[in-house]
Amino acid sequence: MEKTKDQIFQGVRECLVNALGVSENQVSLDSSLVKDLGAESIDFLDVVFRLEKTFGIKIPRGDLFPENLLTNPAFVKDGKITPAGLTELKRKLSHVDFTQFEENPLVSRLSDIFTVKMIVDYLFEKTSVKAKA
Amino acid sequence: MQSVADLKVSTNGRKRLDGKVAIISGGSRGIGDAIVRKFAAEGATVVFTYNKNKESAEKTVKELRGLNAQVECLPCSIQDSKSVQDVIDKTIEKFGRVDILVNNAGIIRDGLFLTMDESAWKDVIDTNVGGTFLFSKAVCEHMVFQKKGRIINMSSVVSKIGSVGQANYVASKGAINAFTKALAAELASKGVTVNAVAPGLVATEMIENVKGLAGDLTKRIPCGRFADPEEVASLIAFLASDDAGYITGQVILIDGGLSLQSRR
Repeated sequence: MEKTKDQIFQGVRECLVNALGVSENQVSLDSSLVKDLGAESIDFLDVVFRLEKTFGIKIPRGDLFPENLLTNPAFVKDGKITPAGLTELKRKLSHVDFTQFEENPLVSRLSDIFTVKMIVDYLFEKTSVKAKA
Repeated sequence: MQSVADLKVSTNGRKRLDGKVAIISGGSRGIGDAIVRKFAAEGATVVFTYNKNKESAEKTVKELRGLNAQVECLPCSIQDSKSVQDVIDKTIEKFGRVDILVNNAGIIRDGLFLTMDESAWKDVIDTNVGGTFLFSKAVCEHMVFQKKGRIINMSSVVSKIGSVGQANYVASKGAINAFTKALAAELASKGVTVNAVAPGLVATEMIENVKGLAGDLTKRIPCGRFADPEEVASLIAFLASDDAGYITGQVILIDGGLSLQSRR
């Protein structure tokens, strides 16, 4: 049966609490994983492992959080994501709204896109497809 | 060699590894056998691998089970990722978790570098470094998920001081030291510690190959003797225990002072 976004949020919050050692009330849809919840690089993998177990799905590496993008000189120049990099980001992360980020695509702002809402939207899409299959 | 009668609880009657599940690669002889016995004595559930020594491995299992230890042995080719994964899967299927990994399995194929062929280089690097990589990779996800784990890699004093005729082996152990530090940095925040133990000369069968030189070698060791395998096993048991939770990324020499390079 298809899960509601609220049900998904509950599961995501539990994963984040366990992976990042934060309290439940710190986690809201708008929370940034890095700025608000203190996630570091390995935490993203930890979060993925826990989401996979909680939701019984396989999340291909790089599907939820992009990998190796910032090491490609075609995608990053002078501390900004290039147009080619943005295209690649949108291709990889079709579940993310880049409108705000595009206004000033600084690499240092990239972590802002990784929010709890982004994970919930991704899982909603993913679990809906699974439920319909 | 530790006898069955020596299978006893260590410090202060406390079993340091009670309730822990440990995987030890290459546990059928030498230092590996001592680690298996030490871990069993410390209360751990032990799964150890062997490559060719099935008979010896099964004998150890029978012996330790007779003492109420929970011990399993599994065949494993540590250069083969499927074979390694199989060990991890079977351990988790049976015991539900992996708390400790000891990357002990290793080989030597000694020879002067000028005559060392590519296969001798590749074999040693692929087994010693590749095996350490494959086992660590296979347990990492579980340990990160548990938010706790211990990985202990087997290095050697030669990674610090070099050794004639062992360019491949020395390179493999140097790589293991560097790998230990890198992995420790990555996993520290997840409660997983990664350390390496670098023994000097240990009284094992492997060292029998250079028995003729033993007299000369002993003179180079400030402590004046080879290590007993049990001494190395004790250090590893300590690093695997909760007592060592704040030690990570270290290469700990246990060499009787050999690396001091002073003569007696």
